[in-house]
Amino acid sequence: MTHRSFLRRLLTGTVLAGTTLLAATNLSAQTRGGTAVIVIDSDPETLNAAITTGNAPGDIGAKLFEGLVWVDPDYKPQPSLATQWTVSQDQKTYTFTLRRGVKWHDGRDFSSADVKFTYDEALAKLHPRTQTTLRRLAPEIETPDANTVVFKLKETYAPFINIQTPFEAPMIPRHVYAGSDIKANTANEKPIGTGPFKFAEWNRGQAVRLVRNDAYWEAGKPYLDALVFQIIPQGPNRSTALETGEVDFLYQFYVSRPDVKRLADNNRIQAKRGSATPAVYFLMMNTARPALATKEARQALATAINRDLQVAQAMDGHARPGYGAFGDGFPWLVNADAAYAKKYPLDPSKAKALLDQAKVAPNTTLNLVFDPARPMFNAGGQIIRDNLRQVGLNVNLVPLERSVMIQKVFTERDFDLTLQSFSSSGDPSIGYHRIYLTNETRAQFLNASGYSNKAVDDLLGQAATAADQATRARLYREAQGILNEDVPTLVLYDEVGTDLASRKLNGLWKGVDGRDRWSEVWMTR
Amino acid sequence: MGPHELALLTLRRLVAAIPLVIGVVVVNFTLIQLAPGDPTTALIGDYPAPPGYVEQVRAEFGLDRPIPEQLGRYLWQVGHGNLGYSFAHRKDVGELILERLPATLRLMLTALAIAIVLGVGLGILAARRRDSPLDHGTRLFSMTGYSVPEFWLGQILILVFALGLDLLPSQGARSLRAPPEGFAAFLDGLRYLALPAFALSLRYIALISRITRASLLEVMNADYILASRARGARERTVLLAHALRNAAPPIVTAIAYDFGFVLAGSALIETVFGWPGIGRLLFESITRRDYPVMTAILLFVSLGVVLANLIADLFHAALDPRVRRP
Repeated sequence: MTHRSFLRRLLTGTVLAGTTLLAATNLSAQTRGGTAVIVIDSDPETLNAAITTGNAPGDIGAKLFEGLVWVDPDYKPQPSLATQWTVSQDQKTYTFTLRRGVKWHDGRDFSSADVKFTYDEALAKLHPRTQTTLRRLAPEIETPDANTVVFKLKETYAPFINIQTPFEAPMIPRHVYAGSDIKANTANEKPIGTGPFKFAEWNRGQAVRLVRNDAYWEAGKPYLDALVFQIIPQGPNRSTALETGEVDFLYQFYVSRPDVKRLADNNRIQAKRGSATPAVYFLMMNTARPALATKEARQALATAINRDLQVAQAMDGHARPGYGAFGDGFPWLVNADAAYAKKYPLDPSKAKALLDQAKVAPNTTLNLVFDPARPMFNAGGQIIRDNLRQVGLNVNLVPLERSVMIQKVFTERDFDLTLQSFSSSGDPSIGYHRIYLTNETRAQFLNASGYSNKAVDDLLGQAATAADQATRARLYREAQGILNEDVPTLVLYDEVGTDLASRKLNGLWKGVDGRDRWSEVWMTR
Repeated sequence: MGPHELALLTLRRLVAAIPLVIGVVVVNFTLIQLAPGDPTTALIGDYPAPPGYVEQVRAEFGLDRPIPEQLGRYLWQVGHGNLGYSFAHRKDVGELILERLPATLRLMLTALAIAIVLGVGLGILAARRRDSPLDHGTRLFSMTGYSVPEFWLGQILILVFALGLDLLPSQGARSLRAPPEGFAAFLDGLRYLALPAFALSLRYIALISRITRASLLEVMNADYILASRARGARERTVLLAHALRNAAPPIVTAIAYDFGFVLAGSALIETVFGWPGIGRLLFESITRRDYPVMTAILLFVSLGVVLANLIADLFHAALDPRVRRP
């Protein structure tokens, strides 16, 4: 042993011992017991998180089910059902070593057969989001032994490890679902997972109750005895219930935005600002309409619309003004040279000149379609109407109930402008490419602007499969150069979500998503 | 009225209700179909479904068939006691409604009971002391109570009694954190019932007190009241035994007529208070375009109204011999 390696070992040893000691002191402070009440907004359509992307099933599912990994606040994957993994040189073969001794809630052993079954039969066929990814990757899954799973992908895919979460790829038991119609299996109402909490009861319209899984693989966890997911349909009443102490946790999706300041100022409530999953809110323009067919006309709108005002008034400050085609929720991909702030500072007179150049007649009327159930779109639409009036365009606000809005915008494409929001679902390739990719289908929540650019399609196609982040960043920057110039869609702002919780809860937000890692949460009593 | 006559009256009313209920189903079904929007949009969620998935969903729920065929199938199903399958809950609609019905009945019947006791009571007081400050006060209360929207009142009650005074819970139908058992569970249930039941009843307290007052005043001018007083009957006997009995038919009619409105009001109240009944199920099924649930609940509501009116008729018959003739 050389002197240097001895020193290194000593150092590592000391750090390790220190960490253990620290962990031990932490442990003694944590108390077991207590029931936490978490808010959801409606009955889940199913409790099988592998076949839905619904909010309530994801929220409950993250406590019942586990993925191969969990993702920490720095977006780093951490071992969950898999203890380690290796990636082949060509980035197409992923080998996961599964944790030993993991049991399903019914006492059966978890094994690689469950992983293969979940992928082949549930995620690839029924999970609305993951099946889209898997179609392209067409993974061939091998299980050389009970604790090893090998994925052979047809294409490289940088976020492959990071989608192994309880939201995108929760593991469900093969012995319960094999040979049945997964969508109709009664286990969807009394689910069986491997997670820290077990299903106890579901009273429709009221609550879903989970209890501690005493056989959980991580010794001593979870700390809480039970979790209750209480259904509170109205946003403002969810805020009141947190204030009265009836409920303990409000995930950002369920928070009524105007109440955030009041709640965060309450000394019995803790708040965590910051979105787990970036999401952009945008104005999509129908390029098939003569008035919006030229990029100059669309640039005029980008120059006339006050994005800061949208943030301040439509979002009560819970947002960051639009940065560019993909927002700034993924800092590694932004293109500072092509940023909206540089290209389109607010300038009504310049906007007017651009409209003249595009030969858009003064007093042209544009129909702005949106779902009025989204309060920020009501306010945002009025700001846009006011902004565009100053450059001589009339905006006709067309509020339409959600499913009618979907029909008008995505099926019929009968709109000039529309306000929409898309979630990235954790990666731009999952959630954002659809804003710009050429789309000839009439499926909902895809590009309905009619914009089609081969160069953009190619760049995004490569960015989806590129194996390293530097390459992806370069491709995205190049794509932003084109998209920020053509502006088929103007990103108005990136959402900033806030999770709210009772101060009695400790150990929250260990994962990037506040709904995850509840095995670590404990309660002061 | 003998049991025979009673049965006959009931039967006649029920038979007359059949075309009405079928009409309700057909009209509701058609109206829902005419409204723009598509239930698959709600089923798919916010992420685009892959090609073929929408068609798969539509076929799964029979939404790809022509509307007359869908209506025919639906009527056939309902005729056989099958209310269909909920898209949003992936569950049999009949089961879903039966699971949620008890909560609504509990809320509605409590609200109606409060409304009848307080409404009739206030009406009698006001009628006895006509034009007194009490009468004016009652009238003012009625006007206000009748004009206040239930959902707004519900929010105010939550702010005052749950948040401000910390006396009563604001959401749900029972304690969830540590569910009590036995008699404690009953008391716990009452605490959760108090605010929504009062919010739902206020309008009917107002309505019933107005009608009771008006009806009583009309009857009090009748000759038999004068005769009864002349015979030296005590005022209380005159009022409760003679006047109220004869003033009752319009009050009973109003209560039965209101039954449908109480159900409609409970959709809003249940949503405000997170009450797990069919009113909220209706509200949610509208936003989620869950047609089978919507139609089935409207069917239940119309049956409820028919039933309430039948009960009112029977009351009439019991109170007033003239109604008993066929």
